[in-house]
Amino acid sequence: MKTSFISSSAISDANRLSLAKLQAKLVEAQKEVATGRLADVGASLGYRAGQSVSLRQDHARLAGIIDANATVSIRLEGTQAALQQLVGNAQDFVSQLLAARNAVTGPHVAQQQAQTGLQAFLDTINTANNGQYLFSGINADEEPVADYYAPGAGNRQAVANAFQAAFGMAQSDPGVAAISAADMHSFLDGAFAGLFDGTAWRSDWSSAADQDMLSRISTSEVIETSSNANEQAIRKLASAYTMVADLGAEGLGQQTFQTVVDKAVTLASEAIASLSLIGSDLGTAQERVKNANDRMSMEIDIMTKHIGGLESVDPYEASTRLSQLMTQVETAYAMTARVQKLSLLNYL
Amino acid sequence: MTLSIGLSTALSGLSVSSEQTSVVSRNVARAGDPSATRKIVNLTSVPGAGVRIASITRAANEALFDKLLNATSSATERTAIADAVSELDQTVLDPELDASPAALLSKLGNALQQYSAAPQDSVRARAAIAAARDLTRGLNTASEVVQGVRSQADADMAQSVERVNSLLDQFGRINAEIIKGSQTSKDITDQLDQRDQLLAGLAEELGIRTVLRADNDMAIFTDSGITLFDRSARAVTFTRTGSFGPTTTGNAVMVDGVPITGTNGVMLSRSGRLPGLASIRDQIAVTYQDQLDEIARGLVEVFAESDQSQPATLPDLPGLFTYPGAAGVPASGSILTGLAGTIMVNPNADPAAGGDPARLRDGAISGNPAYLYNTSGAAGYPDRLLDLSDKLAGKLAFDPAAAVDAEATLAQFAASSVAWLEQTRQTSSNEADYHKTLLERSQAALSKVTGVNLDEEMTTLLELERSYQASTRLISAIDDMLKTLLATAA
Repeated sequence: MKTSFISSSAISDANRLSLAKLQAKLVEAQKEVATGRLADVGASLGYRAGQSVSLRQDHARLAGIIDANATVSIRLEGTQAALQQLVGNAQDFVSQLLAARNAVTGPHVAQQQAQTGLQAFLDTINTANNGQYLFSGINADEEPVADYYAPGAGNRQAVANAFQAAFGMAQSDPGVAAISAADMHSFLDGAFAGLFDGTAWRSDWSSAADQDMLSRISTSEVIETSSNANEQAIRKLASAYTMVADLGAEGLGQQTFQTVVDKAVTLASEAIASLSLIGSDLGTAQERVKNANDRMSMEIDIMTKHIGGLESVDPYEASTRLSQLMTQVETAYAMTARVQKLSLLNYL
Repeated sequence: MTLSIGLSTALSGLSVSSEQTSVVSRNVARAGDPSATRKIVNLTSVPGAGVRIASITRAANEALFDKLLNATSSATERTAIADAVSELDQTVLDPELDASPAALLSKLGNALQQYSAAPQDSVRARAAIAAARDLTRGLNTASEVVQGVRSQADADMAQSVERVNSLLDQFGRINAEIIKGSQTSKDITDQLDQRDQLLAGLAEELGIRTVLRADNDMAIFTDSGITLFDRSARAVTFTRTGSFGPTTTGNAVMVDGVPITGTNGVMLSRSGRLPGLASIRDQIAVTYQDQLDEIARGLVEVFAESDQSQPATLPDLPGLFTYPGAAGVPASGSILTGLAGTIMVNPNADPAAGGDPARLRDGAISGNPAYLYNTSGAAGYPDRLLDLSDKLAGKLAFDPAAAVDAEATLAQFAASSVAWLEQTRQTSSNEADYHKTLLERSQAALSKVTGVNLDEEMTTLLELERSYQASTRLISAIDDMLKTLLATAA
């Protein structure tokens, strides 16, 4: 009766199997040391891999919103700059008008300046950014205000028609000198003002949509992030420029001219006040975008940390494990060689 | 006469020694074979005639061998499952690679967000459609992978059944030899070894129990109790399914006309590769396909368009995501089997198919103008895109049969599906490792008891050498004595 027995294949199998296992672990440990992450994230995390995927989704969503917010910010900044330019030009225009009001060459100078001013206004209001017109509202691919000086421009024709209808002559007619201040006053408040009310403005002047661009700037906030040329301030400004530029100011009598100038100054000043309001609304939007970005960046940092916590390995632990495994493998090799020598055959 | 008795006794010693030597050399020759057992020569003394070989037996341990069979079945079953689940994992891979449907979904969400920030930008529209196309392609591929795994499992089952039948056939022949040998008291140890090897092979495919009867006759039953072999082999039958689609149901394996795989049998096999493969083909892969189908259905639902006329009369239609033969939006909260394999980006919105990507912003992707959201035609129209982003982040109802969330956002559902898959993978590979280790232990335990130890055989050989020498010495001594006797007589 044998009390203890072991077969030769059991002896060598034990070594072989443990070596195979050690080597498999060695490969994993090597990968973990090299990448700093778990060798097989899915199998190591199990159901928590879903958490990792979920965190990555949220991470990507926030990063995507921050990315898209860059587009929004550029649009807001562009609009802000354009508004400032409009306000600056309008202020200059008002002071020029006031200077020209009582000067002898006033009418001529004022008309010239108004024409330049109108052109600058059109340039600014038709600013495009990234292929998108800033003052078009959601009609982003169309120039918001028609060029007054383009050949056959509808808005210019409408002004000419109104003038003709009211006074029976063209603006360049020398007879305009005879137009009384009272007549001009009622024309400006009546037919001419009608050209800049909502409906006529939209058909003759503007291609912009009333609806401003909406943007999602965080997971929960959707805000207006553009302005449009149909705002009353813009219309008032356009009408102020136009009345001085294209109602034959040069040829008007002194009193009539002053009526036009007074009206233009009033309208321009009102427009300046309203434009500042629009500007401050957009400023608020800019502020909200910035705050949302800051908040989301913080959330992203937290998520990155969580993802790291799930998927990373402690590099010191991993490299300690690696060197330990290497020692074990070496020992196993040495043992295999020695056990192989350990045979009765060698001593017979 | 005692001298001649001594001579014949010494002679019997010689013949026994040489027979023992031959057994030692048989043992030594098979020392490297893990399935080989140690052969033992049993001697018996014959009164007045020395010794003779009573029988040759082998070192065996039935309890350990049964344990080995069980461990083999469990290990192959778990390994088959773990391997197949790892195959399924190629639809997810490392979360860092963003290859899973969940990751592709979040890329689509981002593309939509970018597009809604500048709806007039046609480049962003194309990018959004491209992200949508990547997602449908990802789902299509994942669905193919799942069906590939099912089809592979089916093919493996066919091979497994073939192997079982061939093993049973060989078993029948060896068993007959053993019965005959036992009846005529021949050395049947090699046949017994061979039979054990066949049993171990059988246990890899199917959990078995054995019953030993008179004359070493053996009967085999499945672990659920169906006869596999009793005097003769029973037919194990299986019809392979040619090609696998999501709606295909594979056939069951039958033993003696009784199903041993499937869900509605009373004698289902409990371990071995066959039931492992069947559970992949009929349960795990099917559930994963269900999850993919639900993700696809969720997409169709989220991007569906509704009638914009006042009052709305028409039913919702699939928008950006559709599928061949779509007759409306599939019912919420119930699986539409196979949708993940066929979901596609509506060609009307896909520039690669001649469509207009801006329809994503404007609506009416289905082609019916009643579903147009952007009636003003404004290029910067953001409402529909923002609405889609909202819906994409909103909760949907999912079929509980998909074994994950019943109500969740699409992104959560997709992430839960990843969690489910990785959990299954972790569990199955841990179980496979555990059962493999168990198998190694059982093998080692059996080998320790029944295997060959070279040192021992060498020692035995030395002993035999000595006893042979002694016997020859005896013979020559008796010869000398007889010579002396004869000389005296002369």
